[in-house]
Amino acid sequence: MILQESISTAIDAIRANFLRSFLTAIAIIIGTASVIAMVGIGSSAQKAIDDSITNASARTLSVYPSRARGTQKINSTPLVIKDADALIKDKEIQWRVSPEIRGSKSLKYGNESITISVTGARENYFDIQGYEINHGVFFNGRDDLARKRVAVIGSAVGTELKTSSEALVGKEVNLGGVTFKIIGVINSEGVSGWSNPDDQIYIPLLTASDRVFGRDRVDSIRVEVPNLHSPEEAMISIERVLRREHDIGPGEENNFRIHDWSQFTDLQRQATAIFSALIIGIAGISLLVGGIGVMNIMLVSVTERTREIGLRKALGATEKAILFQFIIEAVTLCIIGGVAGVLLGSFLYFIITLFQDWPFAIPFSAIFGSVTFSACIGLFFGIWPARKAAQLEPAVALRYE
Amino acid sequence: MSLIKAEGITKQYLLGNQTVDALRGISFDINQGEFIAIMGPSGSGKSTLMNIIGCLDTPTQGKYFLNQQEVSTFKGDELAKIRNKEIGFVFQTFHLLARNTALDNVMLPLKYAGFDKAKQMKRAKSVLLQVGLESRMEHQPSELSGGQQQRVAIARALVNKPSILFADEPTGNLDSQTGNEVIKLFKDLHDQGQTIILITHENEIASIAQRTIFIKDGLIESDTQNK
Ligand SMILES: Nc1ncnc2c1ncn2[C@@H]1O[C@H](COP(=O)(O)OP(=O)(O)OP(=O)(O)O)[C@@H](O)[C@H]1O
Ligand SMILES: [Mg+2]
Repeated sequence: MILQESISTAIDAIRANFLRSFLTAIAIIIGTASVIAMVGIGSSAQKAIDDSITNASARTLSVYPSRARGTQKINSTPLVIKDADALIKDKEIQWRVSPEIRGSKSLKYGNESITISVTGARENYFDIQGYEINHGVFFNGRDDLARKRVAVIGSAVGTELKTSSEALVGKEVNLGGVTFKIIGVINSEGVSGWSNPDDQIYIPLLTASDRVFGRDRVDSIRVEVPNLHSPEEAMISIERVLRREHDIGPGEENNFRIHDWSQFTDLQRQATAIFSALIIGIAGISLLVGGIGVMNIMLVSVTERTREIGLRKALGATEKAILFQFIIEAVTLCIIGGVAGVLLGSFLYFIITLFQDWPFAIPFSAIFGSVTFSACIGLFFGIWPARKAAQLEPAVALRYE
Repeated sequence: MSLIKAEGITKQYLLGNQTVDALRGISFDINQGEFIAIMGPSGSGKSTLMNIIGCLDTPTQGKYFLNQQEVSTFKGDELAKIRNKEIGFVFQTFHLLARNTALDNVMLPLKYAGFDKAKQMKRAKSVLLQVGLESRMEHQPSELSGGQQQRVAIARALVNKPSILFADEPTGNLDSQTGNEVIKLFKDLHDQGQTIILITHENEIASIAQRTIFIKDGLIESDTQNK
């Protein structure tokens, strides 16, 4: 009842000096908006990372040839297609193995010519990567065994050749001097890490090996491990198979290395957390600055309304009543700023989720927390001006010009 | 028993290292139902005296009893309570809250007295009716004439049924005709039994009071019954 009335008095006072109140609240608005946006972005990014790990029914390891110590030369025993076949034959873990040959070649169509990243891989590559067909079909195991000259392209390749990827399906192109028929286009994937799957061309592994690159050395072997087995367990198995294949004696070092991509996501997660902690820290400083602004404006307000305070006291307002009135005013100002900040922050975050294709997920605790924090700022920085008001001498205050 | 008893009231103001003797020993008794005019030259200490007997300020020395209570020993919120219950003020410059309606302004003392909203409304409306402003209750001060504003202020001073009504030059900011209307209102209130203490510069106004206290240089120069 009394509280309700004090709040409406406070809102009146804020409205009466709308521009000034708004300018004062800006720091509070920016502070809460950044907290909300950052917490939102942080939780979305975390979720996206988590999803990529937990939603995947498997974790992916990659095997690379290691460089010999002290030199830049590729080891004398590189990874070859036969190594991948040995991994497939090993039945201890039901993993999926995808040997990949990568390189860069010129791609010609009509009068257009571009340089393109080429990936030679098996049929299962698309499934492991989570790529989906948009037009046409993927190549299959028979195409691979027959070393067919067929290719699947990314959705951006067509535009680079002054046409569209869809229009290229069924057409013949020239890849590094060899004629290929385009049989499919993958769905747009967007940039992931440092490569863009949309502007690459994909051809069967053996075609790549025999007809395009002329080597059976592969650049990497991707091993998809079902969740049944830990990545560590899988690493030991891979090591066992490849050491045998490469004739590595006991005590000798591996001439390949196994990379666990989920470690990368762990790092990414940490980086995101540090980044959002930093921004939230900055937002905290902004809130603090906002609080000082609120204190300043409340001091101005108390001075300006000295006669009003004198009058209220003459009519019987106790010190507590005046104290309460001004604290409520400061807190109300901060809460309004906080709520406006939450709305602004949510809006910014919403826009970002649209672009990033993230789920929109602001934890309720963040909204509640930041509005409560703004209220506390109002309380903390409002107390001193309010005490000044409460302790004014009525006779002196009434005479104030 | 007297309503007000003042004994040797003095008030000194400190201005830098200089002391100003605004009141230099004032004593008087005021009974229930009296209508008193306080007169005197500018700077003689009239407003200072009103502030002290109106519990807005405390004397430097001397004793002051209101309803047999020695309020000169009271402090802070005790004085606030006395002001709220026993005293109504009318000022030269009206002192209405600009963003509130006439009704809200009049309700303010009742709010601080802790009455519920319905009672605040009922009482405020009835005093606004008494001062002839029933049709202006929802107006803000800026939408009212000077005389109407002063009547709102009088209604506000009366709303909590004070023992004493203080008015410090209530017609000072009004033209003579509206001034006369306001003075008539004071006379009517006095006829209904209200104790009134009114500060004025004008003999004409003072003449409607029963008693005139004349102050000069912080001392009572004369204290006379009229007629
Ligand atoms: N807060 C104050 N600080 C210092 N001096 C003051 C203060 N209030 C009043 N005085 C001084 O006390 C004296 C009496 O002032 P007061 O306001 O009581 O005069 P007054 O009789 O009401 O005059 P007026 O008719 O002009 O209103 C004056 O000399 C004034 O300057
Ligand atoms: Mg005066």
